[in-house]
Amino acid sequence: MTSAHERLLSVAPSPAFWVAVVAYAAAAIALLIVLGGHARLRPAAVALVGLAFVAHGADIGWRGTLHVHPAQSVREAIGFLSFIITGGYLLASARYRLTLGGAAVMPVSLVLLVAARLTPAGSAPEDLSTLGRIHISLATVGVGVFALASALSAIYLVEERALRRKRFDTMAFKDNGAPLEALDRLSHRLIWVGFPIFTIALVLGAVWVSRLGESLDRPEYPLAAVTWIFYAALLVVRQTYGWRGRRAARLTLAGFGAALVVLLIYLVRRMAG
Amino acid sequence: MSELFVVGISWRTAPVAVREKLAFRDEELSGTLQAMTSALPVAEALLISTCNRVEVYGVARPGADPTEQVRGFLASQRGLAPGAVADVLYGHRGSAAIRHVFSVASALDSLVLGEAQILGQLKAAYGVAAGAGTSGPVLGRCLERAFGVAKRVRTETAIARGAANVSTVAVDLAKRVFGNLTGKSVLVVGAGKMSTLAARHLYASGAQRIVVTNRSPEKAEALAAEIDGIARPWADLEGLLVDTDVVISSTGAREPILTRALFKRVTKARRWRQLVVIDIAVPRDAEPAIGELDGVYVFDIDDLEKVVAANLAERGKAAEHAGRIVEHEAGQFEHWLRSQGVVPTIRALREKFARVAESELQKTLDQLARKDHSPAQQREAISRLVQLVVNKLLHPPTAALREAAPDDASLRAEVLCQLFDLEPVVPAETSELAEAPDAGEAQSLVHESAEPTASERKVAT
Repeated sequence: MTSAHERLLSVAPSPAFWVAVVAYAAAAIALLIVLGGHARLRPAAVALVGLAFVAHGADIGWRGTLHVHPAQSVREAIGFLSFIITGGYLLASARYRLTLGGAAVMPVSLVLLVAARLTPAGSAPEDLSTLGRIHISLATVGVGVFALASALSAIYLVEERALRRKRFDTMAFKDNGAPLEALDRLSHRLIWVGFPIFTIALVLGAVWVSRLGESLDRPEYPLAAVTWIFYAALLVVRQTYGWRGRRAARLTLAGFGAALVVLLIYLVRRMAG
Repeated sequence: MSELFVVGISWRTAPVAVREKLAFRDEELSGTLQAMTSALPVAEALLISTCNRVEVYGVARPGADPTEQVRGFLASQRGLAPGAVADVLYGHRGSAAIRHVFSVASALDSLVLGEAQILGQLKAAYGVAAGAGTSGPVLGRCLERAFGVAKRVRTETAIARGAANVSTVAVDLAKRVFGNLTGKSVLVVGAGKMSTLAARHLYASGAQRIVVTNRSPEKAEALAAEIDGIARPWADLEGLLVDTDVVISSTGAREPILTRALFKRVTKARRWRQLVVIDIAVPRDAEPAIGELDGVYVFDIDDLEKVVAANLAERGKAAEHAGRIVEHEAGQFEHWLRSQGVVPTIRALREKFARVAESELQKTLDQLARKDHSPAQQREAISRLVQLVVNKLLHPPTAALREAAPDDASLRAEVLCQLFDLEPVVPAETSELAEAPDAGEAQSLVHESAEPTASERKVAT
């Protein structure tokens, strides 16, 4: 645990970081304006998301040149998580009109990025083993994929509610959002992708912790297990009983909620040093 | 100048009971147009007759106002006394007529704002007029422009967005759930006219299979044959509901057929796959409570009407923007039309100038050919030629200026200044110009002209 190591962890934000922050905020506002009925601004809004994504990537790369890697700590991983979420949204919005989803996802990405960069670095973690790095990387990717699935599920619930209540004049309707069936299917597929990644991350995490000789009684461990159980259950009931739609969307969100709590605990503990 | 006019009747001015009296069948249009252009001072004409309007678009012969005669002509063609329909037949001339044609083509004058049919009907009517030989350059240009304006309005405004009738709204709602209807199957329960229409729209949007069921097997068979569907016995209803994606129901039953108890079994058997139920029957066929079940979306006739109303309200908002486009385009067309009036004058002026230049040039060339000339003499001859041409061209306007009455003269001078881009001239210079063209002073004028004035320099550049 050298002082140089600590200095690197608290490395100052790059210019690209500030560009990303402004672009995220501008994209969120632009998407809201599009929702407000100015459909012509859509390409500009999507371009802003793209700019935020590129700037965010540049910021991660810049930190890389200073030997700060995305999988180095939970703090860095959260920044990387936000990057994955934005990239996933960009991919999905190429196929569907996910304006409402974007208006929801952009602030999340922004908050995660700012939390990852501007919170105090705290003390540097113990020297990370390769095992630890793989665990953090996989867990980040897994949670990122779950986050996208959850965003789609959230849009599903909003649109479904509007349709069921026949609120044809709401925002969800104005934009000709993505069709319900597609949202449901896409969210389900994402969980199929994220689940194995997350499973391996959990197993490696358990091995890592036991090698370090730490006890397993921290609150985030059972919560991570709860997340895993939610998604495992979702896949099972969907496969065997055909659960889908509203119920599946709620379960997806519940699982992601548990994952978010785990991340928060890590972050708070790190900040508390 | 040839003036455009419109005479007609539409849903705005008369009920169908009156409109139908004036309607023309397609095969009557051509003959009617030819009769009109030969009997009346009408140079070009088009006749459009749809369920919402009967209108003549025409171009009057110079100086004539045939709107009154066209009114009488339309009435007499339909065997009516001219007075019987005179007050419901409107007439527009000039810019009002242009605006009207552009509005009609853009579906701003349609009963259902922004509907797509009128443009096709107008194109067909134009085709008939062209076939009958009654459409000419002015009307043709006007309609071509109208079609362009209609396209602009449709792409630049929301006038044609959102379904405007109940059966297409059904398709839109199904698309909100399924996105693409390709491969989806539709179950038609009962045999109402509206459900037939909705099923057709779904089929046109890509739905793969239409199944029809009815308490009376004969009716089911008949409807299935009509819309390329498959008839199934009424007793299979539950199984059919399990296998379908969209249900369109419009039976005459007094009690709901699609009950919550039935749908609880159906949704479970479907493993909660999405099911859209469109219930157009009154009294309703579907219990509202089935809409609470997971994956089931029920829309009754009120919901569909509500969407139509909302879409039409949006179109109404867009109409204002569309109106501005029509206004602007009509203004431009009018400008073009007016400019057509001076084309012959421009042509005559150019021809006259060319004639003068050609004859003087020929004389000079003949002179030069007769014997050898020194270069200095040749230069002299050319400068004389230029001077002669200028004098000949300037003679009529200067003579007209000089001979004009004092009041008129200042007006003519002003027009000349505008036409030749001259700076405002003081009276002394005007008199000098008036003296100049006399033969003896021609030479001095050449020398004066060697130093061009500021305004002449401006013209030259």
